[in-house]
Amino acid sequence: MTRHEEGPHHEVGLEEGADDVVVPQGRVVESEFASIAVRLDREGNSVRLRVEDLRTGRVRHLDALELESIVWLGEGHLTQLLDPSHERWRG
Amino acid sequence: MTAVVPSASEVEEGGSRYDRLIQPARVHGTLYTDPSIYAEELRKIWHRTWVFVGHESEVPQPNDYVRKQLADQDVVMTRDKDGEVHLLINRCAHRGLQVCDDQAGNSSSFRCPYHGWTYRNTGELLGYPYNKGYGGKNQLPLGMGKVARVDSYQGFVFGSLAEDGPSLDEHLGAAKGEIDRLVGLSPEGRVALDAGWLRHRTRANWKFLAENETDGYHPQFVHGSIFGVTGSPIGALYSDNSTAVTRNLGDGHSENDLRPEFREFAEPMRWFGTTPDRVPSYVQAMKDAFGEDEANRRMIEGAPHVMIFPNLFIAEIQVFNIQPVGVGECVQYSTAVQIDGGHELNQRMVSQSIGSVGPAGMLLADDTEMYERNQRGVAMADPEWLDVRRGLVRESVDADGFTIGAATDETGMRGFWNHYKSLMEAEDR
Repeated sequence: MTRHEEGPHHEVGLEEGADDVVVPQGRVVESEFASIAVRLDREGNSVRLRVEDLRTGRVRHLDALELESIVWLGEGHLTQLLDPSHERWRG
Repeated sequence: MTAVVPSASEVEEGGSRYDRLIQPARVHGTLYTDPSIYAEELRKIWHRTWVFVGHESEVPQPNDYVRKQLADQDVVMTRDKDGEVHLLINRCAHRGLQVCDDQAGNSSSFRCPYHGWTYRNTGELLGYPYNKGYGGKNQLPLGMGKVARVDSYQGFVFGSLAEDGPSLDEHLGAAKGEIDRLVGLSPEGRVALDAGWLRHRTRANWKFLAENETDGYHPQFVHGSIFGVTGSPIGALYSDNSTAVTRNLGDGHSENDLRPEFREFAEPMRWFGTTPDRVPSYVQAMKDAFGEDEANRRMIEGAPHVMIFPNLFIAEIQVFNIQPVGVGECVQYSTAVQIDGGHELNQRMVSQSIGSVGPAGMLLADDTEMYERNQRGVAMADPEWLDVRRGLVRESVDADGFTIGAATDETGMRGFWNHYKSLMEAEDR
């Protein structure tokens, strides 16, 4: 077993030699409802947070100012984002 | 199975069904085997009265949740972002799916895996996918079900599925003082039940357990092996020579009060099978918190041994949560008490608990063998009755007005049956 970075709730790994599995890079924040890998991305001129939805492979990069905005997001706005029809399953 | 109705020669005519089945000195075997009585118990006891569900320390952080059982109901105990504890029925308002599957987690919201309906951890419906099918957002007055009333005492969380009825304070009555005794062993005034729960499936009616918990007649027989191996002095406290008493605390609650014995010895920590020099940090913390005399009193008298109706058993160092599964099956959840500021005590609590009720423990396995043989025994036809008269000839009333018997008397069982009968004779709603 090749062990990659340990997440706070989860360890990610794959069998040695397996080439058909995408190895998520980073630490995993996971519950029974969602599974998200997070890591710092230093490819740009400033560091960003790379966030990957492990259930779909969709990736988003969040810069410092975007993260600060999330920290200051009002409870009502966050609740709106949790409504499945708000964006992802709008129809 | 025994006959549903006792033969005419065995009982007097008249009275309620439970007048016939529950008598001062005996109870009928069908109380443990009749599926219709179990169905009635669900309606009149488990779905109505206050039932112990869990402890606030199991959800210490905002948005923590754990799955619990309230009789036949799968319940999610959550702590919301503001710190309030909720008991949700684990069922989606859309198609009735079980929403949470993990035994524990941390999430501000729960998303049903079937069609994506999403709930706040208070049960409120936050949204559903493709909302045009419902005429837009926020169109449905639905949410996860909730246990109608939730309340806690000293961190012990209870739920009642009935909208109204006695308050938790009224339900606990004198048993509150026993919970206070346990919490009073913490220099910080708090206990936690966060060491993890063992789950013991038991093929016996739940009432055998509730009755047995303060039956001081069985330990010398059933638990002879663990007393012998550990050299425990506890066994001797359950004999006719003991000054310990069995107390009917009212409301179905009862205790084995071992304090008279411990007061005679006047040795701090004897109740825990140790001496102050082996737990010095704890002893010092108790003295710092309460002063020398009061700390010594608490450490001499020790923890309670109390059965709180219908399903919370505090057995000194550990707590049991009894939940029925069917007329002939229940689950015993057990965990070690953890004392805030307990220092050396807490690890010992866990190891002693594992030794007594763990997978290879010697105490619960012996009791469970009796419960299951009891269940098989009452399925036999004759004799139809179980005898609960032990100690009737020597019962008395203590200074606080509670009925007490000797250490080995069935005073607690009779209190249990009195309360059980009053609940079962109440009208269906």
